[in-house]
Amino acid sequence: MLDQAASRRLLTTDAASQRSAGSLRVGRINLEVRQSIPLWLQALILGGAALLGIAVSAALLVAAGVSPKDLFDEFVVETFTDSGNFHSILFQAAPLIFVGVGAAVVFRIRFWNLGIEGQMIWGGIGATFVVLHTIGPPALRLPLMMLFAVLAGMAWVALPAWLRMRLGVNEIITTLLLNYVALNFLLHLLYGPWIDPKDAFPHSQQFHSFERLPEIGWGLSSALPIALLCTALAAWLVLFSRFGFYTKFVQDNDRMALAVGVPIKAVTFVCVLLSGALSALAGFVIATAQEGRLTQSFFEGYGFSGILIAFLARNNPIAAMIVAVLVAVLFVSGRSLQVFYQIPFAMVQLIQAIIVISVAASEFLIRHRLHWVH
Amino acid sequence: MLHFLVNWLASTPSFATPYALAALGLIISERVGVLSLGAEGFLLVGALAGVAADLEFGGLPAAALVVAMLAAAAVSLLFALLVVVLRVNQVIAGLAIVFFCQGLTSLVGTLGGWTNRAIAGLHAVAIWPLSAIPFAGRILFTQDLVVFATVPIFFLVSRILSRSMLGLRLRSVGENPDAADATGVSVSLYRFGAVLAGSALIGLAGGYLSVVDVKIWIPDMTGGRGWIAIALVIFARWQPWRALFGALLFGCIEALIPRIAAAGIQAPQYFLLMTPYLATIAVMVWVGLTKLGRLKEPAALGRPHVREERR
Amino acid sequence: MAAALKLAGVRKSFDGFPALDHADFEAEAGEVHALLGENGAGKSSLMNVAAGLYAPEAGRIFVDGEEVVLTGPRDAIARRIGMVHQEFKLVRPFTVAENVLLANWRGRFAHGLREMERQIRTQAEQLGFAVDPRSRIDELSIAERQRVEIIKVLLAGARILILDEPTAVLTDEEAVRLLTTVRTLAARGTAVILVTHKLGEVTAFADRVTVMRGGRAVAVLDARSTTADELTKLAVGTRVTPPRRASSPPGARRIAVEGLQVARADGHMTVVDATFHVRAGEIYGIAGVGGNGQTELVEALTGVRAPLAGSVELDGAGDTTGASAERLRDLGIASIPADRFGYGLAGGLSVIDNFCVGQVHTAFYGSWLWTDGASMRKAATRAVAEFDVQGVHNMRQKSALLSGGNAQKLIIAREFSRDPKVIIAHSPSRGLDVRACAAVHERLLNARAAGAAIVLISDDLDEVLSLSDRIGVMTRGRIAAEFIAPADRQAVGRVMVHHA
Repeated sequence: MLDQAASRRLLTTDAASQRSAGSLRVGRINLEVRQSIPLWLQALILGGAALLGIAVSAALLVAAGVSPKDLFDEFVVETFTDSGNFHSILFQAAPLIFVGVGAAVVFRIRFWNLGIEGQMIWGGIGATFVVLHTIGPPALRLPLMMLFAVLAGMAWVALPAWLRMRLGVNEIITTLLLNYVALNFLLHLLYGPWIDPKDAFPHSQQFHSFERLPEIGWGLSSALPIALLCTALAAWLVLFSRFGFYTKFVQDNDRMALAVGVPIKAVTFVCVLLSGALSALAGFVIATAQEGRLTQSFFEGYGFSGILIAFLARNNPIAAMIVAVLVAVLFVSGRSLQVFYQIPFAMVQLIQAIIVISVAASEFLIRHRLHWVH
Repeated sequence: MLHFLVNWLASTPSFATPYALAALGLIISERVGVLSLGAEGFLLVGALAGVAADLEFGGLPAAALVVAMLAAAAVSLLFALLVVVLRVNQVIAGLAIVFFCQGLTSLVGTLGGWTNRAIAGLHAVAIWPLSAIPFAGRILFTQDLVVFATVPIFFLVSRILSRSMLGLRLRSVGENPDAADATGVSVSLYRFGAVLAGSALIGLAGGYLSVVDVKIWIPDMTGGRGWIAIALVIFARWQPWRALFGALLFGCIEALIPRIAAAGIQAPQYFLLMTPYLATIAVMVWVGLTKLGRLKEPAALGRPHVREERR
Repeated sequence: MAAALKLAGVRKSFDGFPALDHADFEAEAGEVHALLGENGAGKSSLMNVAAGLYAPEAGRIFVDGEEVVLTGPRDAIARRIGMVHQEFKLVRPFTVAENVLLANWRGRFAHGLREMERQIRTQAEQLGFAVDPRSRIDELSIAERQRVEIIKVLLAGARILILDEPTAVLTDEEAVRLLTTVRTLAARGTAVILVTHKLGEVTAFADRVTVMRGGRAVAVLDARSTTADELTKLAVGTRVTPPRRASSPPGARRIAVEGLQVARADGHMTVVDATFHVRAGEIYGIAGVGGNGQTELVEALTGVRAPLAGSVELDGAGDTTGASAERLRDLGIASIPADRFGYGLAGGLSVIDNFCVGQVHTAFYGSWLWTDGASMRKAATRAVAEFDVQGVHNMRQKSALLSGGNAQKLIIAREFSRDPKVIIAHSPSRGLDVRACAAVHERLLNARAAGAAIVLISDDLDEVLSLSDRIGVMTRGRIAAEFIAPADRQAVGRVMVHHA
C-alpha cells in the first residue's frame, strides 16, 4: 500500500522465486489506520520530526557558508548570554505571539484564516488613522489607536467569514486574496494621502511619543505584557470556558455539533473575529512599539509564521506563546545572519517551511501504522 | 478608441496564458482528488527556473520553458510524497509547499545571482499572411509560441480526461478511490503521476510569466496568480474549456490595467492593481450565489486514500 | 473435485486488534454458500482477503486446488474472483458502461465503451435485469446499482461471486428476486458466496452455510437440514429473547406534523407531504424503503434543516416549525440519528465530551465562565454504567473507538438521560448485532412506558412491526398509508413497494 508499485514488484519477483525455491516469501508492506496512540509516542514522533527539521535547516545554513560553530553561537549562545539579543527576542516575540495565538484560535474551528497579513495591515492603518486625524486627547490616544486597529482587523476578516457561512465561499482563497487588496490599499495610502510630508518617503509621519507603546522597564516594551494578557484571555476562552467546549465540537464534527444544539455560527464568528483582532494587534504593536510609524513592509513574513506557530502548537494558545518565542529566536538570529553572512532573510522562511513539512510528514506515523506482512 | 481596443485585446492572450496553463495543471491534479494549494509555489519555481536556465544556457527560451516545467515537477515530488504517500492533510501540505517555494526561490535566486537580471526571453511571432488581416491579425496571429500551443494543449488534456481509458481511470481515482482500487487501479500511482504532470504545467505557466511576459526574475513576482488560478478552477467546475474561458476573462481584466495607464487615463494606480483580486472574489461569490455551486467537485477531492481503513 | 475457493488459517488484524483468527472457508462451484455471523465476526474481512483487498498476516488461499498469492484486486480478478461489496464500488458520476469498462480494461476507450454497452445488454437480458448501460449511477436506485455491480463483476469473468450483505438495502420483494437470480447463477456453475446475518435467507436459498464467530469459522452445515435456532446459537453463542411491547393506552398528543415539505441541500424536494401525530406513551413507526424522504424528515423534526412548508406542533410549546436544534432540544426533543458517527457522535472527542455536550448549555456542568471537568466526568461515568456502554477503558478515550452497538448506547445515554418528551429514532438498530439490537429496543420500550412519544423511522420492516403502536408508510415523501398494530406485513410491504 505504501508504494503499491514497489511492493507489487517485490511480490512478482517473490512469486517467481517461490515457484523455483518453493517456500520463502518476501511479503508486502501494509498500511493501517491507527485507532489510538500513546501520548508519549506521539510526543516522541513530533519532537523527533521537529529536531530533524532543525537539523536539515542547520545543514542548509552550513552549506550556505556559515560554520557550525558560528551557527551555534548565533542561535544558542547569543540568545541566552547576550542581554541585547535577549531583549530583541522578547521585543520580536510580541507580534509573533499575537499572530500565533490568532491563528491558533481560528484553526481550532477549521477556518483557514490566511489573511493574517491583511488584517495586520488594517490594524496598522486603523491605528495610524487615529494618529493622522488626531482623534481624542493625547491621554486617550493609545487606547483609541488600539480600538481602531482591532475594529479594522475584525471588519477585514468578517467579509470572508460571512461569505463562507452564507454562500459557502472557500475562505482559504478569499482571505489570501484580500491580503493583496489590503497591501495595494496600504501602498495607495503611503504613496498618496499619507506620505510623510517631512521626507516624502512612502511611510506615514512619525508618531508622537504618547502614540507609542511605553516601555515597562528593563528595556522591555509594554507590547509583551499586552500579548501575554491576550494569550491568557484566548487560552481561557478556548480551553476552559463553555465556548471552548463548543469549539471542540465545531472542529471535530460540525454536522453533529449542529444536531446536538451547539451554536455553530456564533462560535465560528467569534473565533474568526478574535483571530482578526489579534492579527490586527500584531500590526498595531509593530507600528506603535517597533517602527513608530506605518511602513510599507512591516507585516512581511508574519502571515506564515502565524500559521506555523499555530500548527506546531497544535492550536493551543499557551503552546503558541512558547513556540512564538522560539520563532522570535529564529527571526533575530536570521537578521544577524543576514548582516554578517549575507544570507538572505528568505532563509528564515525556508527554515520555517522545512520544520512544518517535517512535522506534518511525521503525523503519518501518528495516524498510520506500517505493518510488514509475510 | 479602436486603437485602444485592439491593443487591449492583442495583449490579452499573453495575460491569459499563465492563468490558463496553471488552471489546467490544477485541473489535472484535482481531478484525481489532490487539492493543489501549492500552485503559487510551483509558479514561483517555474518562473525562477526559466530565468535561471535562460541566463545560464545563453538565451534558449524554449529550453528555459522546459527547464521551468522540470523544476516545478521536481519540487512537486515533495508535495506528492507528502499528500499521496504520507497522507498529510492536503491544506497543510499545500500551504507549507507554497511557503517552502517562496523561501527557496528567493534564496536560490539571490545565491545564484539571477535576481533582477533582464533576459531576452521569448518573443511574439507573426504568422504571415494571417497576421496581415486587419485587427484580427494583431489579436489572433501575432503572439508568442506558447500562446499558440495553449489551445492544442487544452484540446489534448480535455480529450484525454474525457475520452480515454487513462482519463477514465484518472477520474475514477478522484471520484471514488475505493472503487478505483477495487478494480485494480493503483490510486497512489495515478495520483502521483497526475500531481507531477499538473505541476509541470503550472511550472510552464510560471516560466511563461518570467521568460515570456516580464523577462526578469524578482522574488514573489507571481503576485497571487496561483491562488487566482485555484479560484478559476472552482469557477470552471473542474472543466478544462470553462477554465480556458475564465482565464481569458481574467486575462482581459489584467491586460486592461497597463492599457489604461498607457492611454493616459487618470486612475488611482493601486486601486487598478486590486482589480484581479477583487474580480476573483466576485467570481467566487457568483459561483456561491448561482446554481454553478451545485455542479459537483471531484468527490474525493482533498481526501487521502487508505485501503485498509475500517470504519 | 477441489473446492473453487479455499481459505485456510487466515489471520488478519487491524491496528493490533485481530479481526480474523485462523479462519477457514471453502466454497464449491455450483453451490450457494452462505457465510453467516454477527457484525464483527469477520465475514467481510475474510471475503476482502479473498478479493485481494486485504493482505492477510497468515494463511493460504487456493483457487481450484491451486495455491495462489493475491497481491491486489487485479490478481483476484485474474483468478476470476469477483466481489460485490456492501458499499458499492461504483463511480457515481460515471455511466453504467463506464463503470463496467473501468473494471474490464480495454485498449481503446470509445471501442471499449461500445463493446461494454453491448455486453451489458446481453448479460442483463440473461439475468432478467432491466439496466440501461448509458444511465448514470447517480440516477439509479439502490437495487439497480446492485444489479450493475453484479453485471460488472460477472463481465469481468467471475466464477467465484461474493455478495456482501446484498439484501440489507433491498425490500423483501427485491431481495427474493435477487436471491432467485443468484440460484440461477449457481446452477450455471458459479460458486456464489452469500455473506449475510439473516437466517431466513440461509435456510431458504443456500446449499451450505459456514458460521463465523469471533474471527473464525465455528461450523459448516447443510443449510437445508439446519434450523434457525441452531444457527442463532452458533452465531451468537447464547440465546437472545427480543423484548416485547406491552399494551398500554396512549396519552395526550405530543407532536403533530401537518403537511410538512422539506428539500435536500441540492434543492430537490424529498418530503412532499408528511402528516402524522404521536401521543405520549406511543411508538409511531414510519416504514419505507430508504431514500424516500426519511432522512430529510428526521432533519426537519430535529431542527437541523428548515422545512419549506407545513407545520410542526409540540405539546406545551405550540408551533415550533423551523425552530433551531438548540431550542427543540430545550423543549424536550431527543434524537437518535441513523448515521451514528456522522450526526450522533464526534468521533475524535472523548466519551465524556460526547455525553456532556447534550446538557452543557444548561449550566449543569458549570457556568459559561468555566466548564467543570470533575462533574462532567462523574455524570458521564454514571451514565456509562447505567446504560451499559461496554468497551470504555478510559473515559477520555475517543468515542470513535467504540463499536457500533456501544456508540449507539452512548448516544442513547446522552439523549435519554434528560427525560425527553419526544424521541426521534432513525434506524436505531442498523448494523447492530442481535444483543445490541435487543438492548436498544428495550430502551425504546422503556422510554415509551415512561410516557415519551417516539417516532421510529426505519428501513427494517421487522423492527417497525415489532415495536410500533401505529405504523405510517412513507413513499416518495408522503405518508401513503397508516396501519394500527398488529399490522399485516404483506399489506404494509405492498404499500412500500407499489407507491415507490
